[in-house]
Amino acid sequence: MAAPFLLGVAILVVLPALLTFAMSLFRWDLVRDPSFLGLDNFRELLHDVNFRAAMRNSLIYLAIAVPVRLVLAVGLALLLQPRLIGGAAARGAVFLPAVIPDVAYALLWLWILNPLYGPLNLALAALGLPTPAWLSAGGPARWGVIMMGVFQLGETFLVAFAARRLVPARLYELAAEQGAGPWSRMWRVTLPLMLPTLLLLLLRDTALSLQATFVPALLVTEGGPPPNATLYLPLFVYRNAFSYFRYGYAAAATVWVFALTASIVWLQYRVVRRFRAEWI
Amino acid sequence: MRSSVRHVTLILSLLIVGAACSSDGGDGGEASDGGVGDRVTISFLAEGEAEEIEAYEDIVAAFEDAQDAIHVELRFADEGEELLEQLSTALAGDAPPDIFLMNYRDYGQFAARGAVQPVEDRLASSSVLHAEDFYDTAMEPFKFDGTNQTCIPQNASSLVVYYNADLFEAANLDLPATGWKWEKFLQDAVQLTRGDVYGAGVDPELIRMAPFIWSNGGQVVDDEADPTRLALDGRLSTQATQRFFDLRGAYGVSPPAEVADASPLEEQFLEGTIAMYLDSRKVVPTLRTITDFDWDVAPLPVVKEPVSILHSDAYCMTAASDHQDEAWTFMEFALGSEGQQIAAETGRTVPSLRSVAESDVFLDPSNEPSNSRVYLDNIPLLRAVPNIGPWAEIEEMANGLIEEGYYSNAEAAEVAREVVTQTQPLFARDEG
Repeated sequence: MAAPFLLGVAILVVLPALLTFAMSLFRWDLVRDPSFLGLDNFRELLHDVNFRAAMRNSLIYLAIAVPVRLVLAVGLALLLQPRLIGGAAARGAVFLPAVIPDVAYALLWLWILNPLYGPLNLALAALGLPTPAWLSAGGPARWGVIMMGVFQLGETFLVAFAARRLVPARLYELAAEQGAGPWSRMWRVTLPLMLPTLLLLLLRDTALSLQATFVPALLVTEGGPPPNATLYLPLFVYRNAFSYFRYGYAAAATVWVFALTASIVWLQYRVVRRFRAEWI
Repeated sequence: MRSSVRHVTLILSLLIVGAACSSDGGDGGEASDGGVGDRVTISFLAEGEAEEIEAYEDIVAAFEDAQDAIHVELRFADEGEELLEQLSTALAGDAPPDIFLMNYRDYGQFAARGAVQPVEDRLASSSVLHAEDFYDTAMEPFKFDGTNQTCIPQNASSLVVYYNADLFEAANLDLPATGWKWEKFLQDAVQLTRGDVYGAGVDPELIRMAPFIWSNGGQVVDDEADPTRLALDGRLSTQATQRFFDLRGAYGVSPPAEVADASPLEEQFLEGTIAMYLDSRKVVPTLRTITDFDWDVAPLPVVKEPVSILHSDAYCMTAASDHQDEAWTFMEFALGSEGQQIAAETGRTVPSLRSVAESDVFLDPSNEPSNSRVYLDNIPLLRAVPNIGPWAEIEEMANGLIEEGYYSNAEAAEVAREVVTQTQPLFARDEG
């Protein structure tokens, strides 16, 4: 039954990954014949100022965007559980940004974040609040990219919403009978039973977040404001491959991304497993 | 029933896979893909705004009217970077265009990799094009090995100053004229900066700074024939860079970062909120849409010596093209008198062919800018930045640091040192 899926994974994921690993050991511009470099690409990456900036920016993005998105998605999933008037519309509104094509979404934010004419700064100015230079200053630009990522929590929200629905109502009745208040029910019933799903969402979100910055960085901030304020690993790979013809070098950076993702995901899994073992 | 559903699903899946795998070369997918009717089809990749695209379409239409053996399939990219990426992916996918149009600062990375077919021999034996009919200044940067013509330029443009004549008149200032000095430029910019109007708009980039560095007697690279490092940290180069930075930092005559990010400088000039805007000929088609005020063009202000920087793009033939003869025939047309006239009529180009540049098609004062002679007067004064393989990456890295320094009012000397240090490894990279 799983054979077609496994075949697809093998052809579309495993094979390209193996080719990428192999390419990372060569200097290759796809025009001339490749020349074997061994680990030279990896050594050069360690000294590459741009790569270090991209790595730093990606880790910061990960550290902020992933927990914020997860907390917001779960919070909204719990908040929008009861059947309320307008609940369906609210759930739809939460999910909508996730289905907008990436390029359209990025262009929308290019308008939103416009420092003079964008609705965000106009609203902030109307409230007497500071108006950050979203596209001109490093810090605000990074927060702009994080905001763009956070709003696309639709899929995470949907899965969390479904996971909450699977928690048997009987358990809440039993907890209520034993005097557990709302917070206690959430901590003792809801979250523990949702934990496997939350772990899955955490791992998934971590892996996706390392790639999710590509379109915002390419179209909205263009990797700037310079130098490299919003240069993330995907954009670094893209530029080295398609702008500078350094496919082997870009492949080496991709291997780094893979290793980083795998390490973080493994670490998260170990931490959550231990937490779960102690708590449940 | 279940069996029928499975069969239908299988058939649909096979159809979808078959459609996805099929190749109809519909979007110019291959370098040369048979013909339209009996004609050979060649593909031509270019980038530009709507008016430029129209010009290339007109050139192609005129070419196809003049002969019936070759059909030209146009492919367009939105802007310079997208052109590079489209071309590199097309080369990687073994489906490059037969011809592409590219700036001299960008083509080097393709020429270094043997992706461009030099046209020296074809030019030498051509009865349509002759090297001596073109401006040398535009031809030289397109000799990648320094001797043989690799590509042929369509354009011999330069950095100039577009000015809002109405604002000058309202401020009672003399209009910019040939030979005007940096001091007058700065004074005028200060006087024109009031309210939401800025006196001068210029993008903080290496190619914008370069002519002022040269004008001050400084250098951009250590050796123009064989550069090994940027030379922005030299005394005269740093001095010129500081003057450039002072437009924003010390005098505030150019827009700050948030204003520049909110609206491109070109648009601000169109709206009348920038009095003097520095750019090349490529903006003229857009500027011709201005109806609210009078505008014209002047050469760059002189620091010590009059200089400007070459802006030029050229027709290049890909080495992988299967129809090089046909591609050359099209190039001869596009770069000949008729093709260059069509391009010049849009206002986009300073024709690289002397006969067209000196004609009314380009110089007619009833076409804006009325003072187009400025571009031709600039030609003997033009200098070019290097066209080595990693130059595009060097410029990108330098521009990032320059932009940061410009908007943060940094010391030019410090920025120059940082630029030189960070770009040094790129010069040493083996691109050959």
